[in-house]
Order: sequence, then C-alpha cells, then structure tokens
Amino acid sequence: MAVVVLVIALIAVSAYALIPRTTNKYSIELWYNNDGHYGDVETQLALTVQNSIKDCGHISVSLKSDPWIVFKQDRQWQNQRAPFFLLGWFPDYLDTDDYIAPFLATSGANSTGSFYSNAQVDTWIREAASSADPTVRADRYSKIQNQLAEDVPYIPLFTFGAQVVYVTGVQNVELHPVSFKWFVVNKPGSTTLNVSTSDKIITLDPASAYDYFSGEIINQVFDTLLVYDWKTSDLKPGLATEVPTVANQGVSADGKSYTFHLRPGLTFSDGTPLNSTVVKNSIDRAIRLDLAGGPAFLLYDTGALTNDSKGGTNTAPGVIETPNATTIIFHLFRPVSFFNSLMAFTVSAPVPGWYSQTGEQPSTVGSVVGSGPYKLATHVPDTLIVLDRAFGTSAANTYYNKNLYTADGVGPIPYMDRVVINIKSTGTSVKQDIQTKAVDVAYRTLSPPDLVDLQGKATSLGLTVKLGSQPVIRYLVFNLNKVPDKRIRQAIAYSVDRAAINQIVFLGTAAPLYSMVPADLPYSVPVFQTRYGDANCASANALLGQAGYYLGFHGELMAIAREH
Amino acid sequence: MARGGSLLAYALTRMALALPMLLILLTAVFIVLRVLPGDPILALWGDRNPPPDAIEAARQQLGLDQPIPVQYLTYLRNIFTGNFGVSIGVQYRGQPVWNQIAVRFPATVELAIGGMIVASLVGIPLGVLGGANRDKPIDLAVRLYGTIVWVIPIFWLGAVLQLTFGVWLQWLPPNGRWTGADVPCATAGSCSFRTGMYTVDSLIEGNLGHLANAVRHLLLPSITLGLVLSGFFTKTVRANMLRTISADFTEAARARGVPTRAIVYRHAFKNALVPVVTVLGLQFAILFAGAVLTEKTFSIEGIGILLLNSVTTKDMTMIQGVVVFYATIIVVISLVIDILGAMIDPRIRL
Repeated sequence: MAVVVLVIALIAVSAYALIPRTTNKYSIELWYNNDGHYGDVETQLALTVQNSIKDCGHISVSLKSDPWIVFKQDRQWQNQRAPFFLLGWFPDYLDTDDYIAPFLATSGANSTGSFYSNAQVDTWIREAASSADPTVRADRYSKIQNQLAEDVPYIPLFTFGAQVVYVTGVQNVELHPVSFKWFVVNKPGSTTLNVSTSDKIITLDPASAYDYFSGEIINQVFDTLLVYDWKTSDLKPGLATEVPTVANQGVSADGKSYTFHLRPGLTFSDGTPLNSTVVKNSIDRAIRLDLAGGPAFLLYDTGALTNDSKGGTNTAPGVIETPNATTIIFHLFRPVSFFNSLMAFTVSAPVPGWYSQTGEQPSTVGSVVGSGPYKLATHVPDTLIVLDRAFGTSAANTYYNKNLYTADGVGPIPYMDRVVINIKSTGTSVKQDIQTKAVDVAYRTLSPPDLVDLQGKATSLGLTVKLGSQPVIRYLVFNLNKVPDKRIRQAIAYSVDRAAINQIVFLGTAAPLYSMVPADLPYSVPVFQTRYGDANCASANALLGQAGYYLGFHGELMAIAREH
Repeated sequence: MARGGSLLAYALTRMALALPMLLILLTAVFIVLRVLPGDPILALWGDRNPPPDAIEAARQQLGLDQPIPVQYLTYLRNIFTGNFGVSIGVQYRGQPVWNQIAVRFPATVELAIGGMIVASLVGIPLGVLGGANRDKPIDLAVRLYGTIVWVIPIFWLGAVLQLTFGVWLQWLPPNGRWTGADVPCATAGSCSFRTGMYTVDSLIEGNLGHLANAVRHLLLPSITLGLVLSGFFTKTVRANMLRTISADFTEAARARGVPTRAIVYRHAFKNALVPVVTVLGLQFAILFAGAVLTEKTFSIEGIGILLLNSVTTKDMTMIQGVVVFYATIIVVISLVIDILGAMIDPRIRL
C-alpha cells in the first residue's frame, strides 16, 4: 500500500514538474515617429528594437506611431500617452552638460517625458555645470552616468555616422562635430565648389535659427566671439582675441563673469563697424525678440543672462558691460562653465544694427549680412544657396581671421571664391548628383543603402567616401510614471541588441552608444556596456522572473535557444 | 442682345455662388486643422524643450493664445484683405505664406504645362487611333497602354527614367530645375520682370543657353508626369471618339459618301474633343495644386511639396494659405469652363 502511495506521489510530482506553467509576460507599447522626423528608417529601427526585446521571451512589445506634431505632444506631461518611446538629440552646445541636464535634471526630464527626478542627481548636475575644474566635473558626470545606469530612465542606443562623399582631389573635407566648414574646403584649379544636400534652411537670422543646416550656413556667413577648430570641437578665438579662461583672467574666480576682447577694426561684409556695443545689442536683440522656435533661451535661461529665465526684454542693466569699443563683459546670474560654448553658438553671432529690431530678419540676399568669410549671393528657398567670398584678397580688404588655421597648414580661408549649394528634396537626388559628378561634394543625407552603394563604386567613379561620427544620439525613453518598476527597465536594457540595430537598420554605418554622453565627448563613461551589454537575455529574464513575469516551458526553451 | 444679357446674368450668378463656396471651404479647413491632433508650437523646437515660458511666448507671438472664434475672425479678415500671415510650422517657420507660395508656384506651373504637353501629344493621338480602330489589334494595344501607364506608380516611373537617362546615359540632368549659380533673372536689374519659371525667364533674358538648361531639367519630370496622365487622356479621348463615331451625324456623313479618314478626323475627332477639353482643363487645374510625387522624385520645390510639408507639420497658416490659393484657382477655372460651356451650348443657361 505504501509503495502504491509512493508511486502515485512520485507520478504526481513528476507531472506537476512537467506540465508547462502559464506564461505571464510583461506587455509594453513602444512608440516611434512615423513621418520622417528622424529619417526614413524609423519603422525599421522600431521593429528591430521590438524584436530584440521580445526575442528574450518575457516581454511583449507592441508598436505604436504618430506624426511628429502628435508624437511630441503625446510625451508631454499633459498627455503621457507613451510609456516607452524612441527619441533623438542633437546638441545645442558641444558640452557634456548638453547630454545630461536635458535628460536627467528634473526640469529637463519632465520636458523629455521620462519624469525622472532624483535630488542627488540634480545637485551633481548643478555642481558640474558651475565648475570649471575638470576633476570636479569628471567626478560628478561619472556619478550621474552610474546613476543613469542604475535607474534606467533612458537607454542609449547609437550615434549616427556622419558621411560626406566628394570627388577625389577635393581637399580639406572634414566632418566637423558641430558644423561643416565650407570655407576650409579646397578644389585646386577651380574657384567654385558645387555641393548637393537634402538639408533645408529655415532662417538665416541668428536670433531665430535653431536647426542644423540654417546654423551651418550661418556659420559660413557670420562669425562669433569664439569659433571652433576646423577638425575638432576645441574653441579658438573668432571675433575675440582669445578664449577666456580663469588663467588669463577672462573668467572670474566664481565663474560668473566672462570678459571678451574684440579684435580692433572689425567690420561686417557691408562695411558696417563691429564693436562691443554691436555684440551687446545683438545678444539683447535675440533675447528681446525671443522668436518662436528660436534658440534665445540658450542665452537667457541656459546661459543665465536673466535672473528669471525669461526672454522678451533686454538683459538688465549691468549684465552685459561694454567699457570700451573692444571689451565686452558678461555677468551671469549663476556660474555656467560652458558659457564659452554658448558664445560659439549661432544665436550669439553679432548682426548689424540695421537688422529688424521688431521681428525676424528676412533670409534674402542683401538682408543677410555677417562678419564671416562668405556672404549670401543667391538664395532660392529650398533650392539653391550661393555663397561668395565676403571680403577681398587684398591687404586693405581681407577676411580678418583668414590665418585662423594656418598652424595646421590650412588656409588662408576661405579657399573658394564661390560655393554653390544645391538643395534637393531627397537623399536619392543627392546621390544622383555626386554619382554623375554634377557636384563636387555631397553632404547630408544619404540613406544607408545609398551610402553602401557609393562605397562600393567609389573607386570606379573617382569618389571618396568619408565616414565619421556626429554628435546626434538616439535613445529609448521610459515614462517612469507608466513604467515605475526599475527591474523592468533594467531588463529591457539587458535585452536591447545594438549590433542588430547597426547591421539591420544602418548597414554598419552607425556606432553603438552606451551612455547618453557620446564616447568622443569628455567625461563619457560607457555604463550601459559594462553593466548591461547587449542581448543579454539570461540577465533580463532573471530580473523579470523576480518581478513576477515568467514564461511557459516552450518559451523558456526558445529564450535559451536565442541566448546560445 | 437678349442672349448676351442672359450670359452675363449666368456668369454673375456663378460668381455669386463661388463666394459662399469659398467661405465654406475656408471655414471647413479652419475647423479641421483645429480638430486634428498635434501641437505645432511644441514641434517648432524639434527635439529640444525650451522653458514653458518660451512656449507660451511663442503662442502669443503667433496669435494661438486667442479664443478660437477670435482666431477665426482674424483669419477671415486677414484672408479677405490679402494677408496670408506667416508660417507657424517647423519647416517654414516665420516665413510669409504668400512669399512661399509665390516662390514655388512657378515651378509647379512649369511642370504642369510640361506634363500636359507630353500627355496631350501622346494621349490624344493614341485615343483617336484606338477609337478609330475599335477592337482591332491597334485598339487593344492602345487600351492596354492606357491602363498600364495610368496605374504605374509615378515615383517608380520617375526613378526608372532618372536612372536610365540621368545616371547611366547621362543625357539629361536626373533632378532639380537648374544647374549652376546663375539662375535666370536672379540678379537685380537683369530682367524687366521675373516669372520664376526658368524657361520663360530665360526667354525674357534672351539667353538661349539658359533656356536649354531649364528645358533639359524639365524634360524628365514632364515625360514622367505626362506619360502617366496620357493613360487617362487616351481612355477619355477613345471613349469620346467611339461615341461620336457612332453618332447620327457621322452616320449621315458616311451615307453621303464622305471618306472614313475625313469622318474620323474632321467630324468625329472635333466633336469628341469638346468634353475632352473640359476634362483636361480641370485636370490642368488639379495639377496646379502640385504633382507632389513628381515634385518629390525630381527635387522640384513646387507647391505640392509645400502643401505636403505643411500638412505633416500642421502648419495651419500655410495650409490655409495654400488651400485658399488653390481653391481660388479651381473656382476661377471652373467659372471659365462653365461660362465657355454656356456660350457653346445655350441650353446650359436655361
């Protein structure tokens, strides 16, 4: 009898062990933009992310999409429709702060839609932003990034590869991390450089421009107090004689005052004098107009030139001092360690006093006048931009900063008398233009298949394909109000497969990103690589198991198969 | 005299009816744009998120903080005083709407005319040929052609022509409207007036090299658009040819011994063209709204792309401006067609 009972008990236990458990998967919606705000492969990207997460087995991901105007509204705090979504970021000023504060500071996170809030992180961000000491900044940014990896309000995915294709023989074509510099490009034996792009200009008024291509053209036509090196994001003297530092007493010890000394005898390309009053008035103009969609808030809010973070009026008396025609002093309401970078941003470009003081300056020939190496010669909206040498080549009439890069063997700038930029509706047209050599340079934006195709044909066509990195990052966002369980976010961080994204969607032209700060910026720590890696299903599923999500027998087998 | 007065009354009635039609359209567009989801102001900054105060300041600058009825009345007042406002969308932010339409419309007109010429040159003769040879092999071939080209995706046909004649053979520029920096009449004082149509402006300049440049760029998009439209033209002309060939007056001509060739081309074809011209006129007017796929494929910044970009960014002022502009064209052309129809056939006025 006892044996019978024992046998029955053994059979019962074995049966219980063998019967597949009911699957309990975690379900989440992944939202993405569907009208090309991030290019033509966004659906492929969303599908690849979806597959990489759900292939681990424990999570069911459904895709949802919206056009940009709805998409952006959906993730605002009013709507909060999206629990998990794909976003991108192009920096305003090339400083680590611009990859941290907009995402991890409480106010930035609310706007981004993650609703992340951590008082300690806020303190670290403030400390890093107000300190010029690299040791302090490295410490705070390291702590912030480690906290990011722990809390996972975002999952960094990849940075876009920058690409330019040009006819072999064209010289000094550099993929600059901030803005392409046409004035360093040289085509020996020619005075005109022909270019094709699919980028569009929105405005050429520095007070209003806040998109890549408008900024790029402004950078050819307008100079700022500080400018960038021709290859790197290092700052060099532009209209100012030197880059202010604490050491040269250009920056006060408390980090709240910045003094710039202008070069003497500066003029705009129309001959209008450019002095410290013009610089002050230009910055006041941008802040006062605070044009819709414009970047003025980088001056009055990010740059702390007002005490209430509001535009609409000039800066308060004494905030911007002009003790003489060549000296300008900015007194900030709080220390801003990257203020120099803001002075290299297009919104800080001086404009002549005759520019409209009540609204946006038209982007037409004759209305756009700067102090840079080129001037606007022709502008057919969304079709053609022609830039001509702004100053002569004689000693009496020459570009003031023509020898800026001669130490590197580059210059005098600008090389070409004329740059003709043909603006096309699609990347396909850009490819056709360079393929037929209708232009000398094709820059932005070729689709991954077109780029790979041109790489294959480069030698036979006599073209050079140059690849680089650009500071655009793509990442996933969790709305923490909707996905409050950290284990779920961490599990998804384990599941994501960046190699698959790069190969399937970008044909190997993107670079994996393991922190919100790109790898080539100071203080970047690849925290997601060390902590999560890629497609780590075992760790993801272990976490999800702890959270109460598990698979049936067959699901476990499939997850194990994928793992191996 | 009585007849002329009747025609004038008819024309005035039609014009009076056009005005409320326009008003209804404007109102419908205004309401639809405000009912659709999405916030164009938030979208202005792309991925960036300015402080809330900056967003509110932008709403005030653009008048979107006003109550909807106030916005509507302002909109109507502006439209009827010729003020189309400035763009509020991210693509054309801050640009005067009318300027954007004026810059792009000539490109669309040039393309529409080019496309219509190709469509007419190909479609009308084929339609006549098919109609005159009903159910014969040539008619079958024409019917097949009409069906195939009408359903070919225009971007696909465009890409094939681009690759063949633009990239491989390099006979024609694969895209764009112009090669070089010296756009016709772009330099101040170079022309007494400027149309924005590069072919016409080249003629105004008297520069044949420029004319060749403009025409070469216009060929591939015109052929693409024209071939697709020719399918519709072929079918329309053929159907009307069949109707007129079997009509009483052609039977009578045949009975009187008039040669078949003369019946087809002198009697049947002429009569078949009357309804065809009406249809083609309307088709032409529709093309003025922009052949968006052709424009996109060939990188022609016409009014079609303008409208497409404005819709995707919910650029309300730009959409309203383009729709008003387009509606006015349609109303005017419809009016002209109606009046012409009434002149040709007095029964319409009854």
